[in-house]
Amino acid sequence: MIKLLDKLPPEECPKLMHRVVDGVCGRSGPRQTDYGDRWSLTEWVELMNTLSSLIRFAVGRGCSDQEIQELLSDLDTARAEAVVQCVRSRFDEIRHALVERTNAISSTQLQDFNWQLKLALSSDKLSALNTPLLNLSLDLKENGLKRSVNIEMNKEELQTLISSLEAANKVVLQLK
Amino acid sequence: MRFRFCGDLDCPDWVLAEISTLARISSVKMKLLCVQVMKDLLDEGIDYDKVSKLTTDAKFEIGDIKASVAVLSFILSSAAKHDVDSESLSSELQQLGLPKEHATGLCKSYEDKHSALQEKLRESSLRLGRLEAVNWRVDYTLSSSEIKQVNEPTVQLRLQAQDPETDSTETTVVSITADKFRVLLTELKQAQTMMNALQ
Repeated sequence: MIKLLDKLPPEECPKLMHRVVDGVCGRSGPRQTDYGDRWSLTEWVELMNTLSSLIRFAVGRGCSDQEIQELLSDLDTARAEAVVQCVRSRFDEIRHALVERTNAISSTQLQDFNWQLKLALSSDKLSALNTPLLNLSLDLKENGLKRSVNIEMNKEELQTLISSLEAANKVVLQLK
Repeated sequence: MRFRFCGDLDCPDWVLAEISTLARISSVKMKLLCVQVMKDLLDEGIDYDKVSKLTTDAKFEIGDIKASVAVLSFILSSAAKHDVDSESLSSELQQLGLPKEHATGLCKSYEDKHSALQEKLRESSLRLGRLEAVNWRVDYTLSSSEIKQVNEPTVQLRLQAQDPETDSTETTVVSITADKFRVLLTELKQAQTMMNALQ
């Protein structure tokens, strides 16, 4: 299926490849409408699937340039070179995306978090409460679905959380 | 008339009415009753047998006992809520017709437990969720179907927090990459510094 790339002039290959890598890294990939005159929809889907699995395979297996060239033996040198160049220059980024995908396997991941520090002034129980509270909102992704968790903590609870995280961080730092 | 222990508002009519009930028992007995009510407010458990014994001399009926416990409970918690000092409380209660010895006795137990009571009120103030427990585990991912050599640490975190809507404990298990974990910890520490600077 990689042969489909022959329909694109070699000088336009790098642009397309970089957009495909964008897609692999979780950003928006190339749009079919931009290439509608070169490939039919079926061809387009096939080509995209082939290219992104190739990129993931090459980086996932830690292939050398030589090995990537071999995978691309169906293509002529100019186009194959464009693909190799693109994978090589964005190797770390792709690797990072693959690590993210690995972490997504059978677990809920942390996508993002936000916090908010508030001073509770008064309540129905005590007119001068003056207690600082921290709201932590965790954006989680579970089987492709997003949900968020909110936790309100006072000083002591935050201290508990930070002590636990610091203990874990010590171990993480030893591994690096 | 406005009273500080009522939050600079009028004294509720029922409180005014029951202050005269309190005046029917001796000041010593009322002080002991105060101690029991204070125990109730601090969640230390009120001894109802003692309460009824304290009020038998004055021939209190069950309704009078309930009313005197309620009025003492209102006076003590409302005064603590508005942070009234015991001298002002004593003079305000005397203005409302509580005999001087009774007012002094009540204020003595109020003064003794003032800060404990405020701490209790602070604790029982509305909270929208609280963190109950944290467990963690650090994993080192070696390999996966996506990538042959991963060699990256990840942190598994389990947070048990109280859900404000149901009051039940909600457990969240999340896996965090090393990079994100570092950012999370740094930011939480920043927030903690700001929180500590507030007091």
